Amino acid sequence: MYGRKACQLVKEFATSEKEQLKTFNDDLFDQVIKECGSHNLGFQSLVRKMQDEGLDTQTARNGDFYGALIHHLSLVRNKRCLMAYMYNRAEVIRGLRWKLGRVLPEEIVKKLSNSEKDYLKGYSGALETYMNDMNLELTVDMVPPKDPYIKVRVLEDIGEVLLTDKSANLARHSMHFLKRTDAEPYISQGLMEELLS
Amino acid sequence: MANYYDVDDIITEEENISVIFQKAVNGVGIDPGSEKNCVEQGSKVELPFWLASELCLRNTVVAQVPACFDEKTRLEVQADPACVDLRSRSPYFYEFGCKVAPVTGDRTIGFLLFSAFKSRYKEVLTKAHTAANVANPKFLSRLTKEEVHLYEAAQSSMAAFKKWRKGGPRLQPASVLRMKRKSTN
Repeated sequence: MYGRKACQLVKEFATSEKEQLKTFNDDLFDQVIKECGSHNLGFQSLVRKMQDEGLDTQTARNGDFYGALIHHLSLVRNKRCLMAYMYNRAEVIRGLRWKLGRVLPEEIVKKLSNSEKDYLKGYSGALETYMNDMNLELTVDMVPPKDPYIKVRVLEDIGEVLLTDKSANLARHSMHFLKRTDAEPYISQGLMEELLS
Repeated sequence: MANYYDVDDIITEEENISVIFQKAVNGVGIDPGSEKNCVEQGSKVELPFWLASELCLRNTVVAQVPACFDEKTRLEVQADPACVDLRSRSPYFYEFGCKVAPVTGDRTIGFLLFSAFKSRYKEVLTKAHTAANVANPKFLSRLTKEEVHLYEAAQSSMAAFKKWRKGGPRLQPASVLRMKRKSTN
């Protein structure tokens, strides 16, 4: 009560490494929301008590008023902690979309809550609509490359793929000489690696 | 408020501070010492900072300077700031001090924080630039969160500088592969 559980939730987020997500803590989240409910009940009962005694809730300053104040402040604190938890997780998710592309690896997706999955889908869609309208691919590497083509080795079986200038059979352990823009999404997902020779 | 969503700010405000209630309060179980659901006037309670500062504003409580800024810490900081274990006092020593100072009306906290930070800053930077890849765990365990951020920033800029000078592999594989290794953990 009084914001301790809510702060625990925020601390749990803080202990995870940068840009890493832990599983969405549904349990603690619901407990905090339940606490908000009980704070609200406490608040309402104190305000009703003041009104029954005929006091004006705006100006009277007695024990009940301060009790109601503490309940209100606890509610505001819980709200802040819950919002910060969601906001910071959403920020991490947006970063992951930019770094890893539209399809996130399975280990990450199972840590998201349902609403976060919907958020990711919506954000991804908005980003893609924008990129299609502008005809620009924004999620690629910002540094201009020295060479438009790179040599890659395929790490996992991708199969027959249609690239910008040709189609290639990306079997495991095969080496190819691809355009940077084609290879980049595969490298970021860890399916290929660049060969530096 | 730029700090509303800031996680460090939220955790800083959760630090406990001793207050003395000037008015009686009904209907809240925040005082573990009282049997009923209320707080007597004049009772001393440990409250989290976010609650204490709001109640101070409304003159419901009077806040006392927390233990982490007591005489013992001041003497240690005067003697040798670089060796003082500030993290055991509070991992958010400086931020908490900045918030506590106006609430308790103590004007000396500012000087304490400033002199401690000035001396420790030099120590943090020299250790970060010379230690290179070896992390010094004993040293790091004495630093507050803010100082650890500084240390890591200095180390990463040093590493970036060395990489630039060496003329290493292109940007693309490095950051992306590291990301991949991270995401499979």
